[in-house]
Amino acid sequence: MSKTADLLPGTLDMLILKAVSLKPLHGYGVLLRIRQISGDALEIPQGSLYPALYRLETQDLIAAEWGQSENNRRAKYYTVTAAGRRRLREETAGWNRLASAIAAALNTTSEEV
Amino acid sequence: MFKRFRSLLRTLTGRRGFEAGMTEELLFHIERYTEDLMRSGASRQEAARRARIELGSLSSVKEECRDARGLHLFDELLREAKYAARLLRKTPAFTATAILTLAVCLGANLTIFSAIDSILLRPLPFPKPDRLVTVFNTYPKAGVERDGSSLTNYYERRGNIPAFASLAIYRYGTAIIGDAGSTEREQITRVSPDFFSTLGLGPAIGRTFTEQETTYQTDSVAILSDAYWRQRYHADPHAIGRHIRVDGLPKTVIGILPPGFRFLSSEARLYLPLASRAEDRMPLQRHSGGNVTQMIARLKPGASLAQAQAQIDTQNTTLEADDPQGKMMADAGFRSIVASLHGDHVASIRPTLLLLQAGVLTLLLIGAVNLVNLLLIRASGRGKELAVRQALGASRRHVVSEVLVETTLLTLLGGLLGLAAGAWGIRLLSALGADRLPLGSRMAFDARLALTGLAAAIVMGIVLAAPIAFLNLRRPLGGALQSESRGGTSGRAAQTLRHGFMVSQIALSFMLLAGAGLLGLSLNRAMAVSPGFRSDHLLTGQVSLPGKNYPNGAARLAFVEKAMNEIGRLPGVLSAGVVSNVPLSGNSGKSAAKVKGRIPRPGESPRGHYSYWVGGDYFGAMGLSLRAGRFLTAADSRRAQRVCVVDEDFARYYWPDGSALGQRLFEGSEERGDAEAFTIVGVAGNVKQAGLTDDAAQGAIYYPYVFRGDNNIFVVVRTGLPPESLGPALQQVVRQIDPDLPVNDLQSMDRRVADSLVSRRSPALLAGLFSVIAVLLTAIGSYGVLSYAVAQRRREIGVRMALGARPDQIRSQYVALALRLLVCGTILGVIGAWLAGRAMATVLFHVPAMNLAILAGAAGVMGVVSLVACLLPSHRAARVSPMEALVEE
Repeated sequence: MSKTADLLPGTLDMLILKAVSLKPLHGYGVLLRIRQISGDALEIPQGSLYPALYRLETQDLIAAEWGQSENNRRAKYYTVTAAGRRRLREETAGWNRLASAIAAALNTTSEEV
Repeated sequence: MFKRFRSLLRTLTGRRGFEAGMTEELLFHIERYTEDLMRSGASRQEAARRARIELGSLSSVKEECRDARGLHLFDELLREAKYAARLLRKTPAFTATAILTLAVCLGANLTIFSAIDSILLRPLPFPKPDRLVTVFNTYPKAGVERDGSSLTNYYERRGNIPAFASLAIYRYGTAIIGDAGSTEREQITRVSPDFFSTLGLGPAIGRTFTEQETTYQTDSVAILSDAYWRQRYHADPHAIGRHIRVDGLPKTVIGILPPGFRFLSSEARLYLPLASRAEDRMPLQRHSGGNVTQMIARLKPGASLAQAQAQIDTQNTTLEADDPQGKMMADAGFRSIVASLHGDHVASIRPTLLLLQAGVLTLLLIGAVNLVNLLLIRASGRGKELAVRQALGASRRHVVSEVLVETTLLTLLGGLLGLAAGAWGIRLLSALGADRLPLGSRMAFDARLALTGLAAAIVMGIVLAAPIAFLNLRRPLGGALQSESRGGTSGRAAQTLRHGFMVSQIALSFMLLAGAGLLGLSLNRAMAVSPGFRSDHLLTGQVSLPGKNYPNGAARLAFVEKAMNEIGRLPGVLSAGVVSNVPLSGNSGKSAAKVKGRIPRPGESPRGHYSYWVGGDYFGAMGLSLRAGRFLTAADSRRAQRVCVVDEDFARYYWPDGSALGQRLFEGSEERGDAEAFTIVGVAGNVKQAGLTDDAAQGAIYYPYVFRGDNNIFVVVRTGLPPESLGPALQQVVRQIDPDLPVNDLQSMDRRVADSLVSRRSPALLAGLFSVIAVLLTAIGSYGVLSYAVAQRRREIGVRMALGARPDQIRSQYVALALRLLVCGTILGVIGAWLAGRAMATVLFHVPAMNLAILAGAAGVMGVVSLVACLLPSHRAARVSPMEALVEE
């Protein structure tokens, strides 16, 4: 457990968009996928997952459809919409800029000042 | 934004599906997680427990999901509405009173508003209707306020008034349509070729009239209204080119008007060219328009009414300078007025409508005050509950929204019922004669009105909620908890508010009552006016003799003689006569007369007099009184005697000291040869020609029928039987003489007299109805307020009685309170009644704005009603038993 990191505020939506952009997923699948693609490093608080999904659906960034799950149960599958894909690109670019800026700032040594 | 709204809408419409889907999705999650946990070694029970804990409380997750969907506010609203509905159901008496009050008040307002909307507000059904104007001549100093426009005016102005884009003239009339034996008399309008282009709306099929079709030789064309086309030709598109007989002459149909075409209030079925001869268009005819010929024009874009008026004035001045009659017309105050077509058409009814709207708004105000009072009482009763909830953390927003939802629910329910009341009211209004008002036939219950009603209901809900919410928030919590628990007195603010509302209610009712009284008294005085003839047992009907078969006076006289003979032989007929126009028919024309040898006094203008051409025993049939000389007889017409009878007003004006008998006068404004002079052989009593309330001493002249140039006549028959029963016989007699001639407008004279007062009677009736409702509402309100005051002080009364107060002391305390409020309300009411009376001055007849009897009557009614309403609670106060009151809590 000590290896997992807390989620930064505002990053959950980005991660969900990323997860469903790879393949249509149901809610529990989103949880597993995020854990998997982060190498078990990110733990999603389960209580905030569904409100986030509903919020993204209301904003038309993802779309939902009922389908069959792996074990033949009815489940609600989420896919990313065109608007969602655009948003994901913007957020990824923004995040990368922020991350490299913070990394550069943190890597500064006293000689470079 | 729109997308989000659509998604919310989708969710709302599939609300049940949404909830079920959400539950299913979350349960699926828990199940899958449980399975995964079990796979890593946990027992089923342990796994299920951990899965639930990690997801968190199911209901709070669901709530957050709903929030994410924007369903939160809606849910809260729904919950509050349900709560409010439950509370309202718990107090059926209050709820029913409130809803009924609202329904009556909103219904009355909707009814009057529908009249205002259709008559005053909705534009005429033409393109850019605000650019349409009418032009009419006025000779105020001659007593002729309005005299239409003449053909000469039209031909002189056409193309010469730069402010007008287009100018047209038209003449209302009737014509006999159809082939011999199956003729009908229909409303028609004769129009100049540019009439339709001025309005901006012409035939849907076919063409309009051309300039060539304005002479009597070339005018054999007609345009049909849509309704007449459907009735006569069953909407056959090939009706163009067909022939139709109008007054016995064949006309070719050249156009069909679109379905929505309605010129002002005209019922015309047929439009014909307004044909004329060259001499009709000469300067000599400039002032011979008469009220049946009217002018309309369309202002050029950018041109103003004032510019048009200035240009007309300039042209008139130039034209009159060369006119031998110019000096006389100037003396008569001649001017041509340009006025908005719509505004001018409804000008006569406008003050009455606005007055009635003010009346129903007052009613609404009274109703609203009643509701606020009832709601305040209700809120005080719930003060403790509210205080507890606020102490437990209910937010201020919550307190306000709860009140808002409750009152809006109440007003919406009342509003819905009010729509039904409004629909009924509109029917009542039509029955009272509103559809005969100018543009009144446009009145209908439509979506626009329904939306207005519902919007008004919502606004009322918000307005009513304001004082309640204010009071609820202002109440100190601890105080509310204590004062209620002690059963002591309510907050001073609430009490003052309640009493203030009651005073204002009494004042408003008083005002309405006094206003209705003024209208009623004014109607009463109008009805008491003697018309100058005996209206009972008198049947009247109109016959028009087409020019083709009755080309001259002799032919027309032959018909009249024959008809009089035949009618006189009908059983039950006492006497019969004909007249060019019966009094009170609504189109009394005035024309000039010149008294031989009279030199006008300096500054005196020529006068218009009511002029009648009479045959048969007109005077005997009408029951006119003879003041001097003799009446005209049938023999005068037969022998073409140049004699006439004048009325007292006429005689007194020209010969205040001497006798009118033997004097001579000329028809028209000029003195001509002696051979054309009429000798006055009699003086008759005055007759109210234009209306019972027409006070102007205009003077009237009666000429023998044979000198009449017009073809419209009224037959008047005095009978011993009920007059209407004679109608069929009269029609039959006329058909026997000439099968082409229908008798129209068959009405008893009593009916005409009653109809002439409809514009006074209907508003008076409505105002009376409104004030009865207002007084009733005030009684309910006063009763409610005082009952509450007593109920609230039961304990205090009990204590006082236990300490020795006598019941009559308690009673008189409450009666005194009621009296104090009544006096305050009445004083304010008198002030209001005075203001209302002044605003009503234009529609009152022989009644001053302040009438002591009416004020006293209103005060009496208000006094009796509010005292009765207050006595019951006071009585109850006096009967409070000290033991019970003290033990109760």
